[in-house]
Amino acid sequence: MPATLAKAPAAPRDFAACSGCSLCLLVCPMWRRHHDPRLTPEGMAKALQCGATAADLADPVETCSLCGACDPVCPERIDLSGMVMELRHQLAGALPPPGLPPMERPALFAELQARMQHEERPAGPSQVSLRSDTVFLPGPALRADPAFLERTVALLNLPVFADDGDDIALALELGADIPQTRLQSFVDSLRGHSIVAADGLLLRQLRRWLPGSKRMGLGAALCSRAAVRSNLAATDLYVIEPRACHADYERMVIYYNNLQIEIGCSLSLDLQRIAIPASAPGLRHRLGLAAADDDTQARWILRGRTPERIVVEDLADIAAFRRITDIPVVHLAELGGDPTMIRKTARAFN
Amino acid sequence: MLKIPLVEPGTVGPCPVASDALQGIKRQQTNPARWNGAGWPAFVATLRAGGVELAEGSVACGVYATDAGGTAYGLPHGVVIARNAGQVSFLLKTAQTHRVPVTVRGGGLTTEGESVAFGGVLLDMIGMSRVVSIDAAGLTVRTEAGIFWHSLAEELRRENLDYLSAPLNMTSSVGGTLGVGGIDVNSARLGCSADQAISLQVVTPSGEIVECSDSENGELFQRVILGYGQFGIITEATLRIRPYTPLRMYYYYYSSLRVAIEDLQILDRNDASDYSGILTIMDCAVNLLVAFDSDEREAAFHAHWKSRLRGYGETGFALCMAGHYALRPWKFREALYLLQRKREVFPEFRRAEYMRDKKMYDRTVVFSRAVWKHWGSKQMVIPDLATPADKFIEAVERGNAVCRKYFTHYTLYCVGIKLRPEHLPHYEMSCIPPGAEGWAYGCEFEPMIEGGIYSRDHFQSFKNAIYDIGVDMGASYYRFGGMMKGYIRRVFGDALVDRHLAMKRKADPAMILNRDVIF
Ligand SMILES: Cc1cc2nc3c(=O)[nH]c(=O)nc-3n(C[C@H](O)[C@H](O)[C@H](O)COP(=O)(O)OP(=O)(O)OC[C@H]3O[C@@H](n4cnc5c(N)ncnc54)[C@H](O)[C@@H]3O)c2cc1C
Ligand code: SF4
Ligand code: SF4
Repeated sequence: MPATLAKAPAAPRDFAACSGCSLCLLVCPMWRRHHDPRLTPEGMAKALQCGATAADLADPVETCSLCGACDPVCPERIDLSGMVMELRHQLAGALPPPGLPPMERPALFAELQARMQHEERPAGPSQVSLRSDTVFLPGPALRADPAFLERTVALLNLPVFADDGDDIALALELGADIPQTRLQSFVDSLRGHSIVAADGLLLRQLRRWLPGSKRMGLGAALCSRAAVRSNLAATDLYVIEPRACHADYERMVIYYNNLQIEIGCSLSLDLQRIAIPASAPGLRHRLGLAAADDDTQARWILRGRTPERIVVEDLADIAAFRRITDIPVVHLAELGGDPTMIRKTARAFN
Repeated sequence: MLKIPLVEPGTVGPCPVASDALQGIKRQQTNPARWNGAGWPAFVATLRAGGVELAEGSVACGVYATDAGGTAYGLPHGVVIARNAGQVSFLLKTAQTHRVPVTVRGGGLTTEGESVAFGGVLLDMIGMSRVVSIDAAGLTVRTEAGIFWHSLAEELRRENLDYLSAPLNMTSSVGGTLGVGGIDVNSARLGCSADQAISLQVVTPSGEIVECSDSENGELFQRVILGYGQFGIITEATLRIRPYTPLRMYYYYYSSLRVAIEDLQILDRNDASDYSGILTIMDCAVNLLVAFDSDEREAAFHAHWKSRLRGYGETGFALCMAGHYALRPWKFREALYLLQRKREVFPEFRRAEYMRDKKMYDRTVVFSRAVWKHWGSKQMVIPDLATPADKFIEAVERGNAVCRKYFTHYTLYCVGIKLRPEHLPHYEMSCIPPGAEGWAYGCEFEPMIEGGIYSRDHFQSFKNAIYDIGVDMGASYYRFGGMMKGYIRRVFGDALVDRHLAMKRKADPAMILNRDVIF
């Protein structure tokens, strides 16, 4: 990652500050699944204190889902998911030991690099006339379902920004290099806009790249639409997309608290008020090198709960719940039945 | 000249610390000598042949180099992550045969290096973190003992249940706590966490897996409860639990520590609150916390006890302080510090996401996060004292004077511990002070490091000065984890310690289990 943009002021401390309090471990899906102290953010931070290299930590670094749950709980304000991203970046760029053949990289890396180097990105759509307009970055999952995207866009009543940075989001996930020119043009094109982004990891970085900008996850944006919000029910289990929530935790925890008070629904928060990820795919899974994530997380969210309906912010969570329960699962965008009720509101922006 | 007796490797020699041996000697932290590694390769080969995963190397071992105290440092030769009682049993049997020390670690929140391995195997219990079963009707839970209290609370809450009492620290493990005590702000009513244990699965130092309780293998149960891991490793525990209830909190502010303690003891003696404790901000700003989860007790408190408390509400106290400092303008730095603490710390206890209808939900989360955020660091220096009720004020005032001598700012945390007469055998040679009846009281003395740099000797002298008060007053140490080996004989006397040592030698012939903690 180019140092100028990736090293953010919002990441004030690094692993050296870890006191070993273990608070981060309590919220980590790797810990829930494996009960192995090495597969935890604390384990990584302490190992780095003892001189471990990225290669030594390949297992936890690749198992981590970058859910960001560990960041807001760390009393030492260590940017733990940033630490994992940095380690992924080091792993991705690691040279093979002398005398050994070049390391095998999934073809995806090369394709991604080529895309970021050469692809001419379209400018924003023509509707985006003013720099102050709010724009929507849907990301590849929504784009893959045009009907769903259309519905979402109608509900949001926001223009889709043609360059939604999907290559940058993928590079962040993989730890791949982002060419400075590509990053700069993406960030410059968004300058001055308020942003709604479906990709929580991109949102996290935008906070650093565009400090002071107004940003919101897709869940909160949809939920601010009366057509959606009015269809939430007290008997729902509302499942939060963890990355966007944790990327802007201090604001979002109040937002969700108010939502719960207003609707009376239950939320996928733990006792520390951290969003429990419904699935926690690691790098290998995202690269297609490992079998699909197991159901530990979704089962844990449902344990002891009997909602009439599960409402998810993240499209990917629909499958996670449908695998384990007959309870109806819907995406927030499916709640906004009547497009005429759609009201444009900026309430959830700070 | 000092004679150092020859000690057979793997055994513990006679204690060189006579009851008055340390008087007048300038003390420093001295880590136990590192085990010399004799027979390690053969031990490792046997373990691995038996399917036990053992990690070696500087990183695997280095992450366990210290505990929350951060003043004792030591490296194990290897690390085993506990997986089940069978594996722990095999480890101990092999360790007995090869005379390899095994140090057990839960959350690692000890402050004197008790969970630090000075060579040998470090057994990390948190690998055993499953809840085995919850009996909602019978109000009990069976859990693996490496589980953190917070993880247990997460599971129980899904059934609207809660544990009874646990340290105000989310990352203490159940096993580590049952071994040392466990004090909560409801301990004045419910006793310590160890009092909540009904039965345990224990792996004895020689590797037997034994179920024990007061009625089954009672002697083992009594030694393991509050036993600092000397007589066995707790692998599972059955605990009492209760329906979950949020709390209504009240804070009273005092300018006198003595008066605040007197009021705390009045409340405890009269069973007038569900939760109580003292947290000081400065010598002249002392907070008495009173909380309720039962409406009847809260109503009774308002009817009978509230008017008797001599503390002020927040506004009243702020006015008093304003008047106090207006007349003493030269103390403006003190006033600024008070204001700063108020601004930084108070909001932590009122975060909207933990409050509903003026009730606090998940107090342990609230307190624990605040503790780590505002008091936490790589070196947690928290010596403590536990005394019978009648000696408590003197002990706290003397400890407070020691704090004043060593640090600019510090916090005291005081709480009562209800004693159960039927648990007397559990309390022998433990954190419960000898001679206490009805209630014991504990006080934790916590300097605010605030980015300051102090030498290890400074911290250690401070802790020694606090512990000396305990020796002088015939007290104990309420977490006891905070008590240093050198003090054991001075506090409990030779006869009691030798009796326990004889039991230890019988149970642990090669003296391998947690061998540097007590004996
Ligand atoms: C910031 C902070 C706040 C604290 N607050 C409180 C508080 O409010 N109340 C309170 O009571 N204490 C408090 N403590 C002290 C600490 O929480 C207790 O000592 C705690 O219960 C220890 O649990 P642990 O899992 O960390 O045990 P460890 O520190 O890992 O171990 C404690 C001892 O027990 C042994 N042991 C560990 N696991 C087992 C097992 N399964 N079987 C047998 N022996 C075992 C170890 O060898 C060691 O000797 C605090 C400590 C810190 C650092
Ligand atoms: S980002 Fe999520 S999965 Fe990764 S270490 Fe933090 S909590 Fe664990
Ligand atoms: S929460 Fe922060 S300080 Fe605590 S163990 Fe994790 S990384 Fe270390």
